[in-house]
Amino acid sequence: MNDGVINEVKPGVFCVHLAKALYEREAVFAAAYKFREDFFIRIEPVEETHVGIWFEVKRGQAINEMRDGLGEFCNEVLDQQVRMDLDKRFGHLREAIYEQAFRPINGRG
Amino acid sequence: MLHEDVQLLPFTYRVMPQGFLVVNQAGEYLWLSRSDFDRLLSGNRERMGELYYRFKGKHLVVDDDDEELAVEMLATKLRTRKGYLKAFTSLHMIVATLRCNFRCDYCHASSSDRDRADTDMSWDTAKHVVNLIFESPSPAIKIEFQGGEPLLNWDLVEETIRYAEVVNRFAGRNLEFVICTNLTMVTPEMLTFCKKHRVSLSTSLDGPGQLHDLHRKRRDGGSGYETFRKKLDLTREYLGQDGCSALLTVTRDHLNRLPEVVDHYAELGFNGVFLRSLNPYGYAAANLNDLGYSPGEFLVAYKTALDYIIDMNFRGTPFVEYYAALMLQRILTPFATGFVDLQSPSGAGISGVIYDYNGDVYPADEARMLARTGDRKFCMGNVLDNSYEELFHGRLVQDLVHKSCVEVMPGCATCAYQIYCGADPVRYYAESGDVTGSRPDSGFCQKNKGIIDHIFELLLRNDNRLNNLFWAWITSRNLKDMEL
Ligand code: SF4
Repeated sequence: MNDGVINEVKPGVFCVHLAKALYEREAVFAAAYKFREDFFIRIEPVEETHVGIWFEVKRGQAINEMRDGLGEFCNEVLDQQVRMDLDKRFGHLREAIYEQAFRPINGRG
Repeated sequence: MLHEDVQLLPFTYRVMPQGFLVVNQAGEYLWLSRSDFDRLLSGNRERMGELYYRFKGKHLVVDDDDEELAVEMLATKLRTRKGYLKAFTSLHMIVATLRCNFRCDYCHASSSDRDRADTDMSWDTAKHVVNLIFESPSPAIKIEFQGGEPLLNWDLVEETIRYAEVVNRFAGRNLEFVICTNLTMVTPEMLTFCKKHRVSLSTSLDGPGQLHDLHRKRRDGGSGYETFRKKLDLTREYLGQDGCSALLTVTRDHLNRLPEVVDHYAELGFNGVFLRSLNPYGYAAANLNDLGYSPGEFLVAYKTALDYIIDMNFRGTPFVEYYAALMLQRILTPFATGFVDLQSPSGAGISGVIYDYNGDVYPADEARMLARTGDRKFCMGNVLDNSYEELFHGRLVQDLVHKSCVEVMPGCATCAYQIYCGADPVRYYAESGDVTGSRPDSGFCQKNKGIIDHIFELLLRNDNRLNNLFWAWITSRNLKDMEL
């Protein structure tokens, strides 16, 4: 399975290449965090434009299961990016709500 | 590209097989199909069409002119939900002794033999504890005696209650006492005292005879169940039917027998049960292979038992599953529901605290268990050596608060359930060696997520009878009254 995005580097080790222009660092990290139970994960920039995420299987999963897992990882990065984009649209209001919720009332707290 | 002319308000979402569950900043939710979710994300009034009004009603979008008002409204709702933080520490647990006439396989307290009087709390320590408790600003104070078996140090329990009442004449708090006991040593004299001082009892019940005795073992080798039954009747004679509540610990042996346990609770006249999973501390950690199970196994058993309880209510026996009731209250009402084990920030230290027999103070019972196994990371100090400020405003408690806000914790920060859920830093530490924990492999997270998923699935059925039952649980009313 070498489709330019998910590449098998050696048996049991895959690398996912993602374009930095599409995905932010935080989205990649947040997605990788969710997969740390099943894989050893390494994240490094590969070129100016891309980031590489290496996955090494922790337990004896079949290659097919691993591929499914990596497909899910790609979806997860996308989901995390959507959440980040949303946060840019309403994060300032979230902060305002929390600030106001915890502000002392008439100085009494 | 469509012009974004509607301001989105903060929300989180969860993608489920049934659609998108969208939860606003105040915990109100809306189910959306994928295309309706896309409409919401578009931020375009025209694309939203009629949905715009539903979005607006659920505080997911706002017109520019109303932004300030919407922020104020959501802030008020959030403040209400987090109301438990204002009171500060209200639950104070006192370990009267480590001695116990039982040695249960899962005992968190890792109890000691009956003759180990050196593990009794002394009167001097107890007095310091009570003085400290009343330094807490909380208007409501609950003092809970734990053990071991606290009745083995009855004189201290009695003296402490009398002393706390005297102190409270000046402090004027809403004071409550609970004794957590296996009941087997309770006497008419003790119950007379409890009645006079309005002390309630909390006991353990693991099911019918054989199942109850399976992991709850007397040190003298006899059956605890028979004595338990007699003493439960005696207790009720003095304190009334609701004078004693019961707590279940689900072990591996219970997984397939929960309906039987539920029947037994109902048979003994309890109004409900809290299906509580085993925590990895004390003896339970040492016996995990025999007693434990995966979060997945627990969830299967939990759902089966919950379905059974629901059906039982429909067949005419009112009965509550308290964890589901707590979650429903959080999902369906805007009110604060303090539950020290599931708060954000965590209730450890700031809502509940435990004083060990020697005066050591811990933010949670589980922290005390860790200390018993040699890890004193969570010891806040000692009542004989430290002031209230040092204990409750010290680095340890501050650190626990900072590191247990689900709103910013990895994995939780984007979770749609964060407003209903909470953090348990001591549990996380026991699981992963780090108080922030690791959500992907956390049993605590998997269990809570699974239960909340299931409750949303039940709510999505939109079944009138089921919804009435849920409201009956939330409002402590009878299903029949709800159906009138
Ligand atoms: S513990 Fe799990 S279910 Fe609870 S808020 Fe965090 S991620 Fe969500």
